[in-house]
Amino acid sequence: MLKGINITKRFGGVTALRNVSFSVNAGELVGLIGPNGSGKSTLFSVISGFFPPDDGAVVFEGRDITGYPSHAVARLGIARTFQIVRPFTGMTVVENVRVGALYGRGERNVAAADRRARELIEFVGLGQHADTLARNLTLAEKKRLEIARALSIQPRLLLLDEVFAGLNPAEVRGAIDLIARIRREFGVTIIMVEHVLKALMETCERVIVLSYGEKIAEGAPAEIAADPHVISVYLGKAYAAG
Amino acid sequence: MWRVLSGSFALPTPDVMLGIGLALVCAAVPLATPSAYALSFLFTVFMYGALAGSWNIIGGYAGYLSFGHAAFFGLGAYTTALLLFYFGWSPFLTLPLAGAVAALFAALVGYPCLRLRGPYFSLVTLILGLAMYSLALNLPFTQGSTGLFLPFLKVDVYTSHIIFYEIMLALLVIVTAVLRQITHTKMGVGLAAIREDEDAAGTLGVDATRLKLQAFMLSAFLTGLVGGVYSYYKSYLDPSFVFATSISITIVLMALFGGRLTWYGPLVGAVTLSVVNEVLTTQAPPQTARIVFGALLIGVIMFLPDGLMSIAQRLLPTLVMRRAQHPAARDETAL
Repeated sequence: MLKGINITKRFGGVTALRNVSFSVNAGELVGLIGPNGSGKSTLFSVISGFFPPDDGAVVFEGRDITGYPSHAVARLGIARTFQIVRPFTGMTVVENVRVGALYGRGERNVAAADRRARELIEFVGLGQHADTLARNLTLAEKKRLEIARALSIQPRLLLLDEVFAGLNPAEVRGAIDLIARIRREFGVTIIMVEHVLKALMETCERVIVLSYGEKIAEGAPAEIAADPHVISVYLGKAYAAG
Repeated sequence: MWRVLSGSFALPTPDVMLGIGLALVCAAVPLATPSAYALSFLFTVFMYGALAGSWNIIGGYAGYLSFGHAAFFGLGAYTTALLLFYFGWSPFLTLPLAGAVAALFAALVGYPCLRLRGPYFSLVTLILGLAMYSLALNLPFTQGSTGLFLPFLKVDVYTSHIIFYEIMLALLVIVTAVLRQITHTKMGVGLAAIREDEDAAGTLGVDATRLKLQAFMLSAFLTGLVGGVYSYYKSYLDPSFVFATSISITIVLMALFGGRLTWYGPLVGAVTLSVVNEVLTTQAPPQTARIVFGALLIGVIMFLPDGLMSIAQRLLPTLVMRRAQHPAARDETAL
């Protein structure tokens, strides 16, 4: 469904991504991990059209979308959330979600978009806050809003950027449940960047590991957790040897 | 552009009824044979209301603060004036051209300018207004600072005042209707998203480049129409007034003062500031108007960043909510 071919992205002298290739099949839930600065969010930005790669290609459902602007990528059905949440703070929750319902791949008029938005808000568990200004939500609620907003464009591929970060254990549990429900009800393919490894290990079928902009490992969560290279990247060589 | 503007028209809501009522009352004012002074003052109020409203499409809804709208106003004014001066074509017939010329100019400059954000966009538009002024001053066919003297309407002065009064009122109604309609359509939703966070809007499928350009062109078109009527009304045209930076800035201040997030805010701002200005310039000692004007603006910007209308918006929902919450509050005490 999604293929990255030799993606390279440089910022000035820094190579944020070097020859990263990967592929994601329809219906999968793939985890993307790596230490800070390893290029995870950069890879999301390249896929979602925030900036084009310097080299390589992104192919989505057989179509080369390299260099497409973000609105065009969104209309093809790729949605993303932001690591640092970016709700439209001056709008209510409904107003936030109806934007994607109108401009994504869905509704034609505002009334229908509002209805769709309210369904999604109910689905992510923000029903009682539908008419609250987004700036007055808690972090956990803002993250749910980001997810509802991403779902509003009716995506086939969902890129989740650290939806668990900053949440307490109970909220993480709630978010894991929400992701499971999203897969069940929308049948959407998901790639998620995550630092909360325990959560990732129990949700993902496959994990891709980045380090310093390169892909260093890929496989089932259990294999990845046992991979000496991955352990050395995260915990240092001493742990890998032991 | 028109497709996104045409939402579904429902039964008139209270705000529409009130608007239609006010417009009808204003339209009937000439029946009371007011003084020519009163007519010309109201003409100016309507004109600034229409200008602030037109500006609000790009400046308020999209959040791109243009400080160069005099460029569109002046282009509209010169379009009808030159066609009348050289070809004898009536401005009432060539008015759409005034809007079209302004919109075309907006398309040309908007494409590069709208890539700039925040103060950079504002600065470039400010310079644009100044550039148009210089151009009009130095082109041979505009007759520079000598200006153009236009033929009068072939009716007596008082009747012509009434005609221009009604036409400007009609323009104000059109602008206000467009402004209100936008908030109920896809275009308004997209522009608000751009104002809040343009990058996030993109990830939701909003084509910001295209939508901003459409809003800028629509804003310029309406501003051009107002300019096109103005030159004929004045029957004399020179670059220093229609391309004046002070017009650009007055429009911005009126919209900000009234509240740029609502469709009626710019109109309220235009009326309030026009009246304050008129009363103080005619009744108070010289320069009082400027001092009060400045103090009002500082007050609004410091304490009501979303304009005068934000008070109304803040108060109304609180009142409604209080009523709605009342039963819930009672339940709590029962527990």
